[in-house]
Amino acid sequence: MVQSKKQKYLFLAFCLIPTFILFAIFTLYPLFSGLYYSFFDWSGSSQNKDFVGLANYIKLVKDAIIPNTIIHDYFLVATKVIGIMVMALFFAVALTQLKIKEAPFYRIVFFFPNIMSVVVIGILWTFIYNPNLGLVNSGLEFIGLESLAKPWLGDEDWALPSLVLPSVWAGIGLFMLLLMGGISNVSKSYYEAAELDGASEWQQFWKVTLPLIWPQVKISILYIVITTLNGSFIIVQVMTGGGPNNATHVMGSYLYQQAFVQYNFGYGATIGVMILIISLLTVLILQFIMRRDKVEY
Amino acid sequence: MKRSVGQILGRTGIRIPLILWSLAVLYPIFWMFLGAFKSNAEIYRNPWGFPESFSFDNFVTAWTNYNIDVSVFNSLIVTVVGAVLTLVLAIPTAYAIERINFRGSKILFTVYVSAMMIPMVLGWIPLFFLLSDLGLLDNIYGLAIVYAVSQLPFSIFVLTSFIGTIPRSLEESAAMDGMSPYKVLWKIITPLSMSGIITVTIMNAIQFWNEYFMALIFLNSSENYTLALAIDFISSEAQYTNAWGTLFAGLVIAIVPVIILYAIFQRRISKGMTEGAIKG
Repeated sequence: MVQSKKQKYLFLAFCLIPTFILFAIFTLYPLFSGLYYSFFDWSGSSQNKDFVGLANYIKLVKDAIIPNTIIHDYFLVATKVIGIMVMALFFAVALTQLKIKEAPFYRIVFFFPNIMSVVVIGILWTFIYNPNLGLVNSGLEFIGLESLAKPWLGDEDWALPSLVLPSVWAGIGLFMLLLMGGISNVSKSYYEAAELDGASEWQQFWKVTLPLIWPQVKISILYIVITTLNGSFIIVQVMTGGGPNNATHVMGSYLYQQAFVQYNFGYGATIGVMILIISLLTVLILQFIMRRDKVEY
Repeated sequence: MKRSVGQILGRTGIRIPLILWSLAVLYPIFWMFLGAFKSNAEIYRNPWGFPESFSFDNFVTAWTNYNIDVSVFNSLIVTVVGAVLTLVLAIPTAYAIERINFRGSKILFTVYVSAMMIPMVLGWIPLFFLLSDLGLLDNIYGLAIVYAVSQLPFSIFVLTSFIGTIPRSLEESAAMDGMSPYKVLWKIITPLSMSGIITVTIMNAIQFWNEYFMALIFLNSSENYTLALAIDFISSEAQYTNAWGTLFAGLVIAIVPVIILYAIFQRRISKGMTEGAIKG
């Protein structure tokens, strides 16, 4: 291109600098000053901002609710990974391997909840779990199991497990499509060879499909883990607000409560640092566990 | 080839879970629509069946008593301003990263992309005070800026890959003809990456229309509520007023634009989202 160096740099500055300034102000600066705030006792007004060193971190370690929030988060991670992956894999194999005429219909329907607002999903499911009017209790009554009916979201033992179903419901479609993309790239000749060797469809799944779509499986699991650790608190906030009696608080909803309801902004930031560390560590460890040489036949 | 009885049975058997899950997805959504047309008394009597008569009372109540009209307008502004601003910020950066050689271009791209993995919840506390200092707290335009910046990493990521598919020869010959780089970006790159721009814009618009938590933190007064907050408010009120019909009307208002977009751009949306997920 015929242009002077100065012109090139001017154009480059035009392209990059305004965007980066806004990104720095609204993304980078808040993240780093979040780290900084975690060393202060701060209720929001500028007068009462005291440097307290590691006091917030000591409080964090001693806070009896914190271990529960971490356990709740990992409970959601584990149940969502299992629930979503098992069903998404099953649907993905069913829709690609078996020639089903109406497959596009299922694809379109299953994906739709992925673009619904968490608020809509949360409220819809709150009503499905409604003790008097909800579908779950009416259904149990209908099949004669009214003894199992309970106020699902108001029950300390059942509230957290009840949050899994809406999350799985809302998540399956995306991962099904991701896995379908992987399966459709597997060459037909592998299956023909497997069939000649007399492998059953079940063996074909374990020996051919799964190893060859391992990259997609890995990405799906990582994505579910990241989005759950970084965002599970949204559905918690909409459906239970962390209750009953803190039984459904996850790390993020506890941060929201500490910072924006009780105005402990310094402590809230400390919880935020914990979320950041836990989420990054989990991803690193998972990547290490799931590393597996690429399979090529 | 003749199919064995077992195969035919297997094929029917495989459909059962597929049909059941379709019902599990569609029935609650369908039922939400029906509920929006029922009176509260009927919701109590017959929560899961067809309405006896279709009435629009719930929509009228939501629209007038719960200021849904204002919320719809606010959500529209946040969505449109946010989506346009994201494009204005993301296209030039994506182009520069993809096509101009400069030191640090890889690092810059890595910084943007890795921001997709970071839990932003830590940043929301300082952001709250930053917006307050800038006078942008409880302000839908402030929220639109925050939204736009939050979707920058995703948008830059998708747009660089789209711009990468445009043949370089087009830019080179335009530059030979004396076209300035600004014009190349505006007249050649932007139209040629229109497909990517549309995908990114639809994804961002749906994201902004649906977003709840940042709106919850950064907006306070009810005249600034977006639709998500307004529905959440009706929902918490409904615990006491039992105004379920109004709540369903609100949910329907929130979901209809998303359904329309999905009906038109179904392929783009599902492709855009799976590609966004593969980034890792």
